[in-house]
Amino acid sequence: MSAPLIRAALGRALRVALVLWFVVPLVPILLWAFANRWPFPDLLPQQWGLDGVRSGLAAGAPRAFVVSATLGLAVAAIATPAGALAARALDSGRVPLPRLTEAVLFAPLILPAFAVALGLDVLVLRARAPSPVAVVAVLVVAAIPYTTYLMRVAFGAYDSGYEDEARTLGASRATVLIRVQIPLLAPALSGAAFLAFLVGWSDYVVTLLIGGGRVVSVPILVGSFAAGTGNSAVVAALSLAAVVPPLILLIVVARAGRRTGTRT
Amino acid sequence: MSRPPGTPMKSWRSAIWVLPAIVPVVIVLGAGLGSALVQSLGLMPLVGSPVLTLDAYRAQAGDIATSAALSVAIAAAATTIGVIVGVGLALTAVAGRRAALWAGTVTVPVPHLIGAATMGLLLADSGLLARLFGLSEGGWPALVGGRWWIAVVLEFAWKESAFIGLVVVAVLTTRVAAYDETAAMLGASRLARLRLVTFPLIRPAVVASATISFAYTLGSYEVARLLGRAYPEPLPVMAIRLFNSIDLATRPQAAAAAVVTAGLALLAVAGALTVLRRSAVWR
Amino acid sequence: MTTRLQVRNLTRQHPGQQAPALDGLHLEVDAGGCLAVLGPSGSGKSTALRLIAGLDTPTGGTVLLDGADMTDVPAEKRGIAMVFQRPLLFPHLSVIDNVAFAGRAAGLSRSASRAASRRYLDLVQLGGYADRAVADISGGQAQRVALARSLAAEPKVLLLDEPFSALDSALRSDMYALLRTIRDELNPTIVLVTHDQSEAAVVADAIAVLIGGVLEHHSDVRTAYLRPSTVAVHRLMGGLNEIPGTIVAGVHHSELGSVVLPADDDPRDGPATLVIRQEMLRLVPVTAATLTGVVTALQPAGIRQRACVRVGTTSVFVELAPHVTVAPGAQVGLELPTEALHAVRAGP
Repeated sequence: MSAPLIRAALGRALRVALVLWFVVPLVPILLWAFANRWPFPDLLPQQWGLDGVRSGLAAGAPRAFVVSATLGLAVAAIATPAGALAARALDSGRVPLPRLTEAVLFAPLILPAFAVALGLDVLVLRARAPSPVAVVAVLVVAAIPYTTYLMRVAFGAYDSGYEDEARTLGASRATVLIRVQIPLLAPALSGAAFLAFLVGWSDYVVTLLIGGGRVVSVPILVGSFAAGTGNSAVVAALSLAAVVPPLILLIVVARAGRRTGTRT
Repeated sequence: MSRPPGTPMKSWRSAIWVLPAIVPVVIVLGAGLGSALVQSLGLMPLVGSPVLTLDAYRAQAGDIATSAALSVAIAAAATTIGVIVGVGLALTAVAGRRAALWAGTVTVPVPHLIGAATMGLLLADSGLLARLFGLSEGGWPALVGGRWWIAVVLEFAWKESAFIGLVVVAVLTTRVAAYDETAAMLGASRLARLRLVTFPLIRPAVVASATISFAYTLGSYEVARLLGRAYPEPLPVMAIRLFNSIDLATRPQAAAAAVVTAGLALLAVAGALTVLRRSAVWR
Repeated sequence: MTTRLQVRNLTRQHPGQQAPALDGLHLEVDAGGCLAVLGPSGSGKSTALRLIAGLDTPTGGTVLLDGADMTDVPAEKRGIAMVFQRPLLFPHLSVIDNVAFAGRAAGLSRSASRAASRRYLDLVQLGGYADRAVADISGGQAQRVALARSLAAEPKVLLLDEPFSALDSALRSDMYALLRTIRDELNPTIVLVTHDQSEAAVVADAIAVLIGGVLEHHSDVRTAYLRPSTVAVHRLMGGLNEIPGTIVAGVHHSELGSVVLPADDDPRDGPATLVIRQEMLRLVPVTAATLTGVVTALQPAGIRQRACVRVGTTSVFVELAPHVTVAPGAQVGLELPTEALHAVRAGP
């Protein structure tokens, strides 16, 4: 075989290996979620069924789903505008001590969340603050680096010429904001909101430590079942419930971004 | 006040727009880590009176050291694999075929806890892979809860490779494509282009995303808890076990473990920054 | 660096598009020659360059260097260097390391490649900037470094894709002078793509005109101005006068009357457009002229003026010498020198 053919075959093998690497670990939850009986050496479940799903529903999956969704939405609702405003200010170059500001805004990415939650727990208890609020606060802080960074990139690529043009066409500041800036920034805003939502939806440690067992999100529910044995079906069913909604959101956001986004 | 022409003037009014982000971060991080530090130093005990002491660190110095070494080893192994696979992913995606990139993107919305659960179902003695290979009891290596923490490392590497790959792809498609052609026109072979152009240009992005992944893995609890073994424990597992213990006197020790983890993460970032500062392409 | 470049029947069809981006291009550039490829946007000029460079694969046709077929040779092995519109200097390397890149890629050590490339940096008069960072030099300097970098690769053919269009006119004149120096010193074979006919005239020996992916004209510079193959080429070369009419027995009949065509023009009968360069026309006193008209407008054209003269229902543009003035509404005579006339046939 000639060199280009060998190279093409290797390339294809590499791509197949990569696809397998990412997809294969997700297969077990697809199979186990709908397996009633699946004794050990069998390659496929002996009996398919919805026992796992039913157990999950009985254990409080719907309520956990609502809790997780609320956490996600609350974090997105707060962290996205905060990050967007900060990104705008940083992009304008007029913020004093910009390096320090950026360092602080990116610190939550590297400081361990469990350490922050562990330290904060005592203070939250003493202040008698409601745990869900404290959980949201910590998760918002965890999401801010993502929203700030994404909006920073968006503002960097944003051409303020569009605003200038709109104003010479007679648009007021409010009109410029609503009809020019936000539509142009919508793809980035939805991407940032999605990441923030994901932070709230996926969290385990902060909800565990500060929630104190009262805030039961989907990951907490999965964790309680996963720690035991013989719960594979329930764990898998609940895991699907934890993965499918963000996956759907991801597709929606990606589609919206492609349709309305401006190519730079 | 002299300043290069064209640079905007700094104003405190602009600083107002940063406040909605900065204030929560400073309060939460400051109060949380500050409280952890103070608790570890014995100044905020749940019972008894505050006494400044390093007992919380000394009492379990050996355990903290072992746990720290384990945490760092897991993070290093996972990040190394993540970088290799992630960069490989980015390079194949840029060559035109994006199937692998979509596969990687699918793992992004998967929470780490779910990732741990599914890796467990995949790699356990009774897991899917063991069944696939037809190996009965004893034939399948102990990946979950075994001596080498393989399942834990693999779960982190799995998610990190997607993250690093996506970050590098963004840099490759925006900045590197034109330079690759230019290098080809100057006679550089594919290998030479990778060595002289592509790798230097993606280095900052790789270092940044690898550092973030490393720091995350250091501080992660749920994956090690689900897929690891009882002893030795990585630092977060140790901290939370002590935190939840009935004996309230262990709170300072839990806080100490947390503070050490935060310190290690900061060290890693400091190291990364020195590496980045030497690169001409940074920002 | 001196190689003969031949392009035979080069075609490129983008999948999903009706018309080919490039259709059957046939070109030759002698060793050491400089060909300018001229054309409007979307005419296929950059496509042609990319195909010659090997960055894209042609749908048909071949590229030959000194007679050798380059079809299966990848871009990095062809020995063809290309300078793009943007300098694209590698941001992670200093100026001298950029120029030395080809040497490094070929396996030379850093010091050896730097030493070899100093000569080229001096040639573009940036010898003192060797250790500067790429971000610290201006756009014009960056383009010169890009030129030095491509020359340091000692290519067989140098391709330039609108390299000066982003520069202001003063810088552009400097670059033309630089190109002349490079040609004197190194005698490379050059293909320059441009949309500016005056640039093509200043820099090149020959001009090829591409319109809609098709080669419509290929000749030396003077012929491109005076004997364009089609009316579109005439317009592209900045010609303003097109007078439709018919040729009968070597004489063109139109609104301007009957004029004898030059001896070397195609004498066949049939409909044809008479094209005349506005620079070659002269205004003469009415009494001395066979053709008269009225000046309807005066347009500024740099330091000169352009007079629009109405003859019957046709307008003729005349570029006036700087010291000549004429008032609108004045009756003037037109002199049409025979060498300035050229008839372009309507059909293929």
